[in-house]
Amino acid sequence: MSIAADAEPITKGGIYVYAVVRNDGAKLPRVEGIGGSRVDLVPCGDLAALVTRLPERGWKVKRRDLERHLGVLESAFADGTILPCPFGTVVESVDDLEDALLAGRRSELLDGLKRLDGRVQMNVKALYDEDRLLRAIVASDREIASLRERTRGTGADGYYDRVRLGELIAARVEARREDDGRRLESALARAAIDVVAEPAGGELAFSGSFLVARSSLEEFDAALEDVAAAEQPLLRFEAIGPLPPTSFTASYAGM
Amino acid sequence: MAVATRGTSSNYLQRAPSPSGLADVINVILDKGLVVDAYVRVSVIGIEVITIDARIVIASVDTYLRFAEAVNRLDLTQTETAGLAELRDGGSSEKTKGVLEGVKDKMTPGDGDKESKKERSRK
Repeated sequence: MSIAADAEPITKGGIYVYAVVRNDGAKLPRVEGIGGSRVDLVPCGDLAALVTRLPERGWKVKRRDLERHLGVLESAFADGTILPCPFGTVVESVDDLEDALLAGRRSELLDGLKRLDGRVQMNVKALYDEDRLLRAIVASDREIASLRERTRGTGADGYYDRVRLGELIAARVEARREDDGRRLESALARAAIDVVAEPAGGELAFSGSFLVARSSLEEFDAALEDVAAAEQPLLRFEAIGPLPPTSFTASYAGM
Repeated sequence: MAVATRGTSSNYLQRAPSPSGLADVINVILDKGLVVDAYVRVSVIGIEVITIDARIVIASVDTYLRFAEAVNRLDLTQTETAGLAELRDGGSSEKTKGVLEGVKDKMTPGDGDKESKKERSRK
């Protein structure tokens, strides 16, 4: 992935939107917003948007802004339920913000907030120990094992055998990933309300977001501990959260 | 916020309340959330993030050769009962580290961002 940090600013003015919240006297995030600017609340009936008014001279996207965006979401989420917007959501005016979002989609947004009340997101990744994975694949496949024997120490002669060997292993890795990913997803989903799996590749066996009731975070954590203990040492796990439910907002707010 | 009692991190399960690396931050906030209708949305061209579609397996000869090289370097005399630390310290296993990582790199087009490279090497 690459971020063109030095790209020309293209937004002249405009309103950067972080999230939609209930207009119930929620505190403003105590963190700095995009470009180091202030975070404001734009109220509209029983809803409000957390925004930063972008400078007329334009906003130059910095890497730091990714963290600031997340910081605003996390700070607001600590105070209550939020519907996060994707990074880089900018509208032209307060009128647009109200027409297209706060007033225009009021009922689905209120519905989304209600459905996400008391729920958090846990992001889980399972990563292969590469040596163990390859060892297991060699051990389980005679063709791979014998090709490996044949190609060890061969120079240019063994080129096609080595390509064939690599092709077989790559296919085995993918098949294995699919099996492992499905198994891990269903094991952890039992302790969650919902799950969104991300595409996995490279050293990832599984990557996904789980929607978990705040009140059952300990159960989810225990399930994670059990799964991770059972799958080691081939896999190691990384869990991040509780996070604002970014992966579930679009579908839970009626879209 | 401290909602749940979190267990301590072990070598097979690491827990963090919040994403720390850039990739994890991006994974949480990019293209995820409430989408504002396109007709009022201002496009922000500065955010030129090339997302990786990890589902695309680059079935290149180069990838295959890397896998072949990795298994050829594996020392099969190390058995599954060997301790993890032993495997990690083994010289041969050290050489094979990063093939899967290498495949992932192949799937990352146009990585011209110095900052993100720095991020990776810091790990």
